Amino acid sequence: MVEWKGAPGLSDEEITARKEHFRILVCIDGSDECYQSLQYAARLGGGVDADIVLLFVRPVDQGLRSGGLQVRVARENMLKWGLELPGIKYLKKGFDILGELGMMDGEDWSEHVVHTDVDGDPLGDNKTEYVNAKGKMVVLKLKVAPDIATGILEQWELGPYDLILFGTSGRWKGPVRSFWDPAVAQKIAIHAPCSVLVARDLDVGHGHLICTDGSDKAMEMVRRDGEMASHCDYPVSLISVALDVEAEDEAKANVDKAKKVLADMGIEVKETIVKVGNPVDEIIEAGPDYSLIVVAESGKTGLRRFFMGSVAYKVMGNAHNSVMIVR
Amino acid sequence: MTGLKRVMTLGAWLNLYFFWEKKWFFIAMIIGAFMLHMPLPQGLSPEGLIILTMSVVSVILFVTEPVPLPTVALLIIIGQVVLMGHDSSEVAKSLVTDSVLFIAGSLMLAVAVVKQKLDKRIAWLIVRMTGTKTWRVCFGITVVSGLLASFVGEHTVAAMMLPVGITLISLTSDDPKKVRNLAAVLLFSIAYGASVAGIGTPSGGARNAIMIGYWKEFFFDPTNPETFKFIVSYVDWMIHAYPMFLIQVPFVTIILFWTFRPEYRDLSRAVVKLRKMIEEEGPMKAADWMSILIFFLVLLGWVLISGEIGMGTVAVAGAAMFLVAGLVRWEDINSGVNWGVILLYAAAISLGLQMKETGAALWVAEAFLDTLAPFGASEGFGLWAAVSVLTTGVTNTMSNGAAVAVLGPIVLKMSVVANESPIILGYITAISSSFAYLTVVGTPACTIVYASGYLKTTDFLKVGWKMAIASTIIMLVAAKVYWPLLGV
Repeated sequence: MVEWKGAPGLSDEEITARKEHFRILVCIDGSDECYQSLQYAARLGGGVDADIVLLFVRPVDQGLRSGGLQVRVARENMLKWGLELPGIKYLKKGFDILGELGMMDGEDWSEHVVHTDVDGDPLGDNKTEYVNAKGKMVVLKLKVAPDIATGILEQWELGPYDLILFGTSGRWKGPVRSFWDPAVAQKIAIHAPCSVLVARDLDVGHGHLICTDGSDKAMEMVRRDGEMASHCDYPVSLISVALDVEAEDEAKANVDKAKKVLADMGIEVKETIVKVGNPVDEIIEAGPDYSLIVVAESGKTGLRRFFMGSVAYKVMGNAHNSVMIVR
Repeated sequence: MTGLKRVMTLGAWLNLYFFWEKKWFFIAMIIGAFMLHMPLPQGLSPEGLIILTMSVVSVILFVTEPVPLPTVALLIIIGQVVLMGHDSSEVAKSLVTDSVLFIAGSLMLAVAVVKQKLDKRIAWLIVRMTGTKTWRVCFGITVVSGLLASFVGEHTVAAMMLPVGITLISLTSDDPKKVRNLAAVLLFSIAYGASVAGIGTPSGGARNAIMIGYWKEFFFDPTNPETFKFIVSYVDWMIHAYPMFLIQVPFVTIILFWTFRPEYRDLSRAVVKLRKMIEEEGPMKAADWMSILIFFLVLLGWVLISGEIGMGTVAVAGAAMFLVAGLVRWEDINSGVNWGVILLYAAAISLGLQMKETGAALWVAEAFLDTLAPFGASEGFGLWAAVSVLTTGVTNTMSNGAAVAVLGPIVLKMSVVANESPIILGYITAISSSFAYLTVVGTPACTIVYASGYLKTTDFLKVGWKMAIASTIIMLVAAKVYWPLLGV
């Protein structure tokens, strides 16, 4: 994970506090998938007492495409009519869901509204922060950015996040289409410096399927996800795929190694799977029985990830259900 | 990892990422360099090749947008001085024509008109006339948006009417999901109503002014009375194109209701609340009457005297009147107009004129006609349809003014080679360029309406192709049946 160096306007204590907290960024776009991922984040956040930030990114209003008349003229006119910005309703709905799930119960929450001007936009960035006595935060943020993916990645710079969640429907575009115009989800998955969860029909009960290849990175990931899942009482299963029959023993050993690591942490493994074949296909096929496929990032940089494609990245793009890449 | 090493890997990563983001810029530059060094094609002058190269590079940059669009304008200016060896003062002079002045003036007018708070009065007029049935409200919005847009440009009307549409939607239901189709018909009524009207008069859009400028520059010769018909006046244009807009209006409503079935057949709840909101405004004030007066003065100026003093001058005079009367602040105009667009049009038009002077336009026109010949589309009606389809394709990928600026010179030269009327092909190009219904970026009205957040990009595809086909057929029929009656 890339080291976060703090953001302007934060004191040293705030920076340390943010680094210590488990922080989850949930991207809200009004779709059903995004609210499913929010519910998941709430369970996860309840378990590890995390900060939850709800983010809606609105593309910046600019006039090159609108024939020379800035879109802000239309936007200002809408505000004069007393109309809300797109996104506010979606964020409010997300906040209500958190309330229903009991995330906002208990101690006194203090409310804090912050506005930041953004050049060229009549409204700029707006956020509402709710902080409780224990320092746990829930934030609603409406952000303006040149495009949605950039906005989400910029948000990471403002406060480190351990996990970015976003909903998406369907599979991603192929390499040719993405050369032209990569999908938002794809762009974030490539460039985000932290773990990323892509939610597709995410339902909570079926546990995590952790993929391991026995490498140090994968073992580290097994430890981290095992901890996260056990906090929320999610069952954990393990899968390892051998490329051919000879390597099957090695795959078995990998699974056993991971199982032992988890057992040492006091976590029981529900089932273990060993398959032979193409790792991407086998993992995708085994996936739908679980809430979430968990894969480790093989540590390539953004561009190499894009060109070569790791197993993790391919699984994320093509799976039928939700996938989390742990970094 | 040590600190230094980390900085170096991060640096390498960032640089690569920069090249990746800007890949189309470098691809365009490589294509440009390659074209400049290739052997001269037969029939093309060396200057023609340079201008052709600049046009190809500009089109790639217009479509893929690796750099902010006004940058392309700056590159065109630099290219004309450095590659063509023109004097820089001459290049600067060639930038501002009446068309460019008109674009600047009408954008300033647009901001002034939107700032007048007349939108609530207009909304009230619409619902008073149409009642509360959804289809009647939508039809009313399309008609009124269209009538206004045909004179003041589609972006003005989209910005004015957008709050009306959204107010009706949000007063009907708080949950955007329950009114998705209703939102689509209401907002598309505004956007497409304004788009189909943009063809109606020369002031309906920058593309029309650009075409009028090209006709004059390409064919007008003060010593030859034969060529006087190439000075197309405001009224001439209206006679040719306005009926076409009027015929399209009912099709907008029919196609929208055929594609999206709104959840509510009746909007009485929303209309009652809207009326109450508007009544709070009170009666018309002196300032409101004043702005309507200035608006009509500008219209009269375009119709009566734009032939003598130029359409650009009338537009600029209108903006000046709004400022003198204190109806709009300069700060609002300054922040509401994207001045880069004016620079962009100026450079694109200047490049278009160079295409003609160096013979590049003629060369491309001949090559294009040779390709069309096997399909029987190198003359007559086939050529008209081919030009229309080509323009519609191009305009969906870039702004419609830029499409006309780039295609105009080629199409006009094609008409000369194929012995067709430049006036007819010119109209077809300018009018087809407004058929950018398929994408969010195609027309200004679509971009503005999309900013409301109620529509998806796929909605544009879903309904846009039907609109494009209907509009193309209406235009070709008009060109075949109606224009000959006018003696074109």
